[in-house]
Amino acid sequence: MTDFTLKRRHVLMGLGALGALTTLGLPGGAAAQTPKTGGTLRISHSTRIATLNVLSLSGPAEYPCIDMIYSGLTRIGLDSKVQPDLATHWDASDDAKEFVFHLREGVKFHDGTPFTAEDVVATYTAILNPDVPAAARSVLTMIEKVEALDPLKVKFTLKTPFADLPTSTAHANARIISKAALAAPLTELDTKANGTGPFKLEVYDSARMVRLVKNPDYYQPGKPYLDAVEMMLFPDLAAESANFLSGATDVMLTVQQAEFARIAAAAGIEAKRVASGRYVCVVMRQDQKPWDDVRVRKALALSTDRDLLVEVILEGLGRPAYDSIVAPEIAYATEKPVVPYDPEAARKLLAEAGYPDGIKATLVASDRPGIRVQTAIALKQSAAAGGFDLTIETMPHDTYLANVWMKGGFYIGYWGMQPTIDATYRLLLTSDASYQDTEWKNAEFDALIEEGRATVDPAKRAEIYAAAQAKELEDVPYIVPFFEDVLTASSTKTEGWQIAPISRYFYVEDVWLDKA
Amino acid sequence: MTLAYLLRRLGAIVIVLAIVTLAVFGITMVLPGNAALMILGEHSTPDSLAAMERLLGLDRPVWVQYGSWVWGVLHGDFGMSLRLSLPVAKVVGDAFWNSAWLALIALVGVTVIAIPLGALAALKRGSAWDLVIGFFSYVGTAMPEFVTATLLLILLASPEWPLFPAGGFVAPSENMAGFLRHVILPAGTLGLILMAHISRQVRSEMADVLSSEYVRAARLKGLRGRRVVWRHALPNAMAPAVAVISLDIGYLLGGIIVVEEIFAWPGLGRTLIYALQNRDLPVIQAITLVLAVVYALSNLLADIVIAWLDPRVRHA
Amino acid sequence: MRDVLRNPVGVVGLVLLTIVIGAALFGPWLAPYDPQLFHARSRLQGPSAEFWLGTDQYGRDLMSRILHGAPSTVFFGLGATALGVGVGSVIGVVAGVAGGKIDSIIMRVLDGLLAMPELLFTLLIVTFLGGGTTQAMLAVAVTFAPGMARIARSSVLSVRTREYVMAAIARGESRAWIVGREVLPNAVGPIIVEATIRVSFAIMIGATLGFLGLGAQPPSTEWGLMVAEARQFMFRNPWCVVVPGVAIAITAMGFNLFGDALRDAFDPKRNRS
Repeated sequence: MTDFTLKRRHVLMGLGALGALTTLGLPGGAAAQTPKTGGTLRISHSTRIATLNVLSLSGPAEYPCIDMIYSGLTRIGLDSKVQPDLATHWDASDDAKEFVFHLREGVKFHDGTPFTAEDVVATYTAILNPDVPAAARSVLTMIEKVEALDPLKVKFTLKTPFADLPTSTAHANARIISKAALAAPLTELDTKANGTGPFKLEVYDSARMVRLVKNPDYYQPGKPYLDAVEMMLFPDLAAESANFLSGATDVMLTVQQAEFARIAAAAGIEAKRVASGRYVCVVMRQDQKPWDDVRVRKALALSTDRDLLVEVILEGLGRPAYDSIVAPEIAYATEKPVVPYDPEAARKLLAEAGYPDGIKATLVASDRPGIRVQTAIALKQSAAAGGFDLTIETMPHDTYLANVWMKGGFYIGYWGMQPTIDATYRLLLTSDASYQDTEWKNAEFDALIEEGRATVDPAKRAEIYAAAQAKELEDVPYIVPFFEDVLTASSTKTEGWQIAPISRYFYVEDVWLDKA
Repeated sequence: MTLAYLLRRLGAIVIVLAIVTLAVFGITMVLPGNAALMILGEHSTPDSLAAMERLLGLDRPVWVQYGSWVWGVLHGDFGMSLRLSLPVAKVVGDAFWNSAWLALIALVGVTVIAIPLGALAALKRGSAWDLVIGFFSYVGTAMPEFVTATLLLILLASPEWPLFPAGGFVAPSENMAGFLRHVILPAGTLGLILMAHISRQVRSEMADVLSSEYVRAARLKGLRGRRVVWRHALPNAMAPAVAVISLDIGYLLGGIIVVEEIFAWPGLGRTLIYALQNRDLPVIQAITLVLAVVYALSNLLADIVIAWLDPRVRHA
Repeated sequence: MRDVLRNPVGVVGLVLLTIVIGAALFGPWLAPYDPQLFHARSRLQGPSAEFWLGTDQYGRDLMSRILHGAPSTVFFGLGATALGVGVGSVIGVVAGVAGGKIDSIIMRVLDGLLAMPELLFTLLIVTFLGGGTTQAMLAVAVTFAPGMARIARSSVLSVRTREYVMAAIARGESRAWIVGREVLPNAVGPIIVEATIRVSFAIMIGATLGFLGLGAQPPSTEWGLMVAEARQFMFRNPWCVVVPGVAIAITAMGFNLFGDALRDAFDPKRNRS
């Protein structure tokens, strides 16, 4: 299949490489100043960087590291839209089954070897290999074949149409690894890194610090501005914030809700709330009673006091959600009608469904992260008025993963934001979703998502996805009480520190230090 | 206290250790889930989980896993941590020294303070000193470490009045002053409870000795009070105190788990909890082994010291 | 009992115990609010006329939570100790009465179990059993048993050579009769004393397990768990950690003091403080 007879269209030509780069990452205020070069940015974090294995890692402090060390074909911008990275642009066939990515010229890996189409093929072959633990595989399963057309052109052939492929290639765990590194034992990826990103790995000590230094050959001229970045592990939250406030670190990667107000009030600190699509959801398996009845699910939705949960659990640092897993930031998201807290109506619905005396149920919550248990506790209180007598069962995370997750009938889930509506629904709700844990299977919904994948025209897609979201709201497969904000903070001397709402992309190459 | 006796004790220790490792291994195997599932978390799929298990060697039969671990240990190789991309020897070695510093500072500080306090209380029985020391020793023994630690944090490490850091660690090789500032609260927490035990023990033993016949005899011979206390009473009260200290090492090894977790001290206890949460079996095994060895050896050492201090045993 | 009351330590212990056991028996009825009720507008408050001991991060009344937590905390200590002491004493008495080979085998096994630091041993057992109040109680009981067995054995051994036992043997009484009528009643004193002091250990270990997330689970009002849940907020409202912390200390101290006084009463030689 080297002969292209299909009519092709450039999906993203408008956002050509140069145009995109100049608008990236620089917030309004900082753009006016001229960035200074040099300095070491010290980022504090409180979870370990247990590995740098870009294929499988998933730690909150591990993502910024690979975002600095590696580049992908594409990347998700701060506006949640797809941006070019190692691919300058790409062509898609009209049926969205064939994509050709045009690679950036003259890019070198940190060890000096040139980056070519062969590395892309090797990386994607590894990701798709079932013998390799690869986190990005679940969003790339539609790929049938990846081949190098020439050193700077890679062709992806898909089994099924997929208009969002460039978003999937931006997956944080789909960064390009050199062919040579993939030929070595995969465990070496844990501690060694040879990427094409703005920073090179200098020191990796999972117990204390990861130090990255400037990659002078980075493909964006003049960047990164910083000489080095140090990821400093503070196993204690109080110690982390004390060090940040005293100026011993420049950036606090994650700020706890309980501490946000205090840190935001401190002098010389800029605390940021990034509205995000991260959410807690209540999983109700619909192949068993009582959750098989949509009236019961709606009754629980009406018994959820979302404002109370946002206030008590998030300290107000989030937004109430109304039972759709699609956050407002995701393209094609529709405005969701407010679900009021109405225990009276909930009791009525329960009575209609044949539960005049209410429902007793055991809600399982893993002990990590704490937000799951907090949600369970608050939901128990809130739902009691609506006729739900919930017993909370907390368990260690390992027991939860092995025994309850994907198996239990009623438990608390917790998910990060996905880049597209397709990825969001394919993660949980389509019949063939990666983590189908509700047994909510709706053929019409599946057909809509399938159609959305194959459709390239944005207006048509908007229509299709609006219909899909309406289906979701109609059936309430999950209770989604709120979206949690991403909270971070930097010193006022740190310019350009940003976190994408999806919280896997950081654009540290745009950060600079305003120090004398 | 013959060589044969020592050898027998050491032999018993080795047997206990073997049983402990087998038990820990068995427990971890029976529990649902494993390290591969913990690494992948809610991003795991059946095929990526299987692939991760192969990568970590968790797909091998149970007895092969245990056998290869034992074989490695017998050759001085504790393997790789399943979670931390580091050799176990490095993870546990670093943690061991951090814990050892903490425990040692707590123990030495306590011994230096508690023994004189206990002696003081015994000498001035019924005085205000005795009462105050007695009261604190009762309060000290009644507070679990996490309560003591939390109270100390509120009093001495609040964001408004941060006399000491609320947690964390600075290596003594890097910055001695920083290390000392960080060690005071955790060591103080451990110390408070130890101090209560030891001073109470010393007090009651001292009281026994002071009323014993040969101290009275020494007094009758016209020896001065202080000399009687230092030359006769205290040494005789020491043997039981050493016994208590050795028992307290067992307590210390447990207390350190809680204290390190609260003060984010990167020692054996905190590492153990992290390893337990992540099902990092090689690390759990190594830490349990280290703790059991330290405990067994300190018991043995205490028996030897007591035998040497106690004239009755020495001359027997 | 009169000996205990003559001792100031015993009096203080008894007073504390009365308070604690009163709270354990009547606490839930005395509590002014539902311990799980959120007062969302009054989160993290200090003591006031409305909330005598303040509120926690969900706006729950601390006073009501402490009172509701008292039964579970106290009965945890009593239950774990009773179980551990029961099992341990049976093993110890069997070893002491049987003597010979059985005795030495039992003692070897006990020595092995005692070779593990106590909290580490409990932690491993709880990890194996999974978190939860019952599991934590079992774990503490298992940890206690070997130590109790040793004490029971030694008190049986000390009684075994007394004249009244010798006399019973000489009379040709059956072995079971001797154990039941002569040995046990006389060996039970030290066991009771030890058990009383152990209750305070059990309460402290139980609270520690709750604190580590391995014991009672939310939204339980167990005191150790209360401290753990509120820890993040301890600088914003110290009351929500101080109140349960002090409650634990008072309870443990009550059993401790009372146990010490009991010991002095049973053992006149030590009764001179």
